[in-house]
Amino acid sequence: MSELLEVRNLSVSFDTPAGEIQAVRDVSFTVKAGEVLAIVGETGCGKSVLCKSILRLLPDIARIKAGRILLNGTDITDYREHDMCGLRGRVFAMVFQNPMTVLNPSLSIGVQIAEAVKIHRPGMSRQAVEQRVLELLRMVKIDHPEERSRQYPGHLSGGMRQRCVLAIALAGEPALLFADEPTTALDVTIQAQILNLFREVQAKLHMASIFVTHDLSVAAMAADRVAVMYAGRIVEIGRVEEIFRDPRHPYTWGLMRALPILSGGGRRLYSIPGMPPTLINPPKGDAFACRNEYALDIDYEKQPPLFPVTDTHFAATWLLDERAKGLAVKAPDFGWREAGEMGTRPAAKPGSSLVKQTDQPAESDIILEVQHLTHRFPLSKKETLTAVDDVSFQICKGEILGLIGESGSGKSTVARCIMNVYRPAGGEILYQGIDVCDPKAFRTHKKMLQSSRQIIFQDADASLNPRKKICDIIVEPMKLHGVKPPRGTVRAEAAFWLQRVGMDAAYLDQYPGALSGGQRQRVAIARALSMEPAFLVADEPVASLDVSMQAQMVNLFKQLQEELGFSLLFIAHDLAMVRFLCDRVGVMHRGKLVEISPVEELFHHPKQPHTRRLVESIPVPKFDWIGQERRRDR
Amino acid sequence: MISKRHLEVLMHKILFLFGSVFVLSVLVFYVSRLAPGDPLVSYYGERAEKMSPEEREWAENKLGLNDSIHVQYIRWLQNAFQGDFGISYKYKMDVTEVIGGRIGNTLILGGIGFVLIFVLALALGILCAWQEDKLADRVICRIGTITSCIPEFWLSLAGILIFATALRWLPSSGAYSIGKENSLADRVWHLILPLSVVVLSHLWYYAYMIRNRLLEEVRAEYVLLARMKGLCRRQVLFGHCLRNAMPAYFSLMALSVPHVLGGTYIVETVFSYPGIGTLTYESARYQDYNLLMLLSLLTGMIVISCNMLAQAVSERIDPRLRMDDRRNYEEVDRI
Repeated sequence: MSELLEVRNLSVSFDTPAGEIQAVRDVSFTVKAGEVLAIVGETGCGKSVLCKSILRLLPDIARIKAGRILLNGTDITDYREHDMCGLRGRVFAMVFQNPMTVLNPSLSIGVQIAEAVKIHRPGMSRQAVEQRVLELLRMVKIDHPEERSRQYPGHLSGGMRQRCVLAIALAGEPALLFADEPTTALDVTIQAQILNLFREVQAKLHMASIFVTHDLSVAAMAADRVAVMYAGRIVEIGRVEEIFRDPRHPYTWGLMRALPILSGGGRRLYSIPGMPPTLINPPKGDAFACRNEYALDIDYEKQPPLFPVTDTHFAATWLLDERAKGLAVKAPDFGWREAGEMGTRPAAKPGSSLVKQTDQPAESDIILEVQHLTHRFPLSKKETLTAVDDVSFQICKGEILGLIGESGSGKSTVARCIMNVYRPAGGEILYQGIDVCDPKAFRTHKKMLQSSRQIIFQDADASLNPRKKICDIIVEPMKLHGVKPPRGTVRAEAAFWLQRVGMDAAYLDQYPGALSGGQRQRVAIARALSMEPAFLVADEPVASLDVSMQAQMVNLFKQLQEELGFSLLFIAHDLAMVRFLCDRVGVMHRGKLVEISPVEELFHHPKQPHTRRLVESIPVPKFDWIGQERRRDR
Repeated sequence: MISKRHLEVLMHKILFLFGSVFVLSVLVFYVSRLAPGDPLVSYYGERAEKMSPEEREWAENKLGLNDSIHVQYIRWLQNAFQGDFGISYKYKMDVTEVIGGRIGNTLILGGIGFVLIFVLALALGILCAWQEDKLADRVICRIGTITSCIPEFWLSLAGILIFATALRWLPSSGAYSIGKENSLADRVWHLILPLSVVVLSHLWYYAYMIRNRLLEEVRAEYVLLARMKGLCRRQVLFGHCLRNAMPAYFSLMALSVPHVLGGTYIVETVFSYPGIGTLTYESARYQDYNLLMLLSLLTGMIVISCNMLAQAVSERIDPRLRMDDRRNYEEVDRI
């Protein structure tokens, strides 16, 4: 096979007032026709920038500083915007991370796809364009394409929109498809469907693809080859089975160990310590050295070159140097075998739940009891949407209850009813025996109810006031309730809680905008904990973070819960995360609580078909199976 | 398609319009009559000052001015419902006739001014957005900010001083030269200066709005997808961004009608342009009550209906703003 795309020593920088950000540093790789290359790494490692610099979609402050980009042997590095327009859509296409915002809200789906069809085939008749649009919609498996093509993006769900974006990308029959985290914004079952669709379409059209993701297990499912990126460099690249069977770079080891399915039922998730470096002044030597437990002295001095492992497998670590052979550093055991069996067979060892689930917990142990909760939203004068339908469950003191389900299944609505944001249409919510929905009872116990129940929202970005300092954000509930700070001053209090969630007190005077997503979520946790609540609701607190950050957050929740003993209602759509944190798990589907059982039991003996589907849609890399599937496809 | 619901909404709006106009009429009626000044002067001119008390009483009786204000108002209201808005004290004609003779001039000045502002602002806004942060954009932004700070009356006076008095290129006042009422060229010649002032003093505000609105759209994520289809910059800007920005611009322009109208009145007064702006000013100054009432109501009606139009346009763009749907959307958004 010939090289379709070749990138040689590419470096891309952004000129910002703070300095030059070296987002991509000396990256080389090739993609053959029909091949899928996955680029994996944490947020901020330059994956997206790499793709967008090839497509020339970056803003003007970005510059290609060095390197060449070759398409079928032709140098396109110096192509101007006009030349790139001819390549985009016809040779290159792209699918974006957030299907909710990339479609133009004021044009119908059909018009947007037709635009992509027409642009490279001027003079095509209207009927022919229409036919082609319907054909594309069928190709991405959208039911009732005639009707759908007349609808606007606002009428479609996230998964549906991503299919439409894919249809637009396929309109020009591109040779190379860039997919920038195409499934990150979608929930687990939809993710599995979209991944399957990608594989199918890619094999059918014999199209090459660059698949950007932060999730190694997604890469394993989608790719032929994998490139691991860190701090703007490719640190390891190889065929997918080489990367997963025989990873050589400590960063790849870290990413793999952070995968929840590989933690083998252990009670704590592995996470890579620290954060990726800022790329304004990249550290001398190997950028990963300071987070690397296997770092050698030379790592702090000199950037390691890419050492060949096999003909197709390269890794940039000094561990592969001749002189380091004597150290005999070995990759940790990832437990692939156990993981592979997880979805298919019950594990031998039962989970060690903190609270042993008995049929009827003692009444004094129950902190929250939800009985026949129902909530409806009016859609118009006639129609209503039943978001929560007859849901009943209990949470004991010191218990972590997980609530999972696809988006729109009513998880958040349950949480908000519990927190008195919505007044439910029916049912009772008893918190320590008090009916919180009864206005009279609520008023009598208002102070206690407001201070001992706290909530953490999904989007820390939006839930922290951008114009308040971290210090003020953390102590605000304390001030509202007139609590006398037990540690002297409110500032000391804020510093205490900030350190408790693993952040430095130096952040006290910063604004939320200066923090990363994970740090913001930590601040949100600190704010909730500062009232020392007895009951905490966490509404998808990790959904917007990448894998290694998710692991850190889940560990933090676990640790804090053990130390402080609060009860936790943890809402998520990712089962694998829930498995490590929760004692019991409830599964919601279309407003109903379809199943609630202890966590290990749910994973090994799912009773309901819906639960089984959720468990099965966790991406588990199974190499032999993938290999066969691919061969059969071609 | 007009459903029952649409009719209901329409009726609701019309009721609101009349309600507002009624409140306005009460306010203007009482305030104008309580304000100091002698309405007889505008009817009898110089003679009013030399009248004996008996003559005055007879004159006031004739014009219906010696009853209490409430009685006067009710009488005015009754007549108004029959389509009789009284006579103008100054012109001794039916007020509708007086206004009818002048309103055409204002519509020409205001209407052409409005269309020019709309088109030029759009063109300028697109140019600036296209050239964002380049030299042309920066220069236009600077000049625009300065011009929009200059008050209209000052700009009018400066225009008269330069082009009429010093250079003698353009006339300083009026809508036409005496004896040339029907000459189009003469009318255009008289329009140039007032029209330029109306356009110049409003142009930048709207151009800047459309520029910023477009730049917001250009930064939206859907632009990336549009570019990835292979569309060039022009196609993205006109086919996607401008298209999405236009409804908001229409709503803004509907809202701007009163703004431009107010500007026209000032310019008319400075240029002694025979439109309803000058008429309003005169009638308020000389206590020409009936004329003032009708002019205020007319202006008020235009302002209120334009605001309603703007609201209707916004509602079409963003269904969440619709009164009765608002609550539902807020809740559904949170699911």
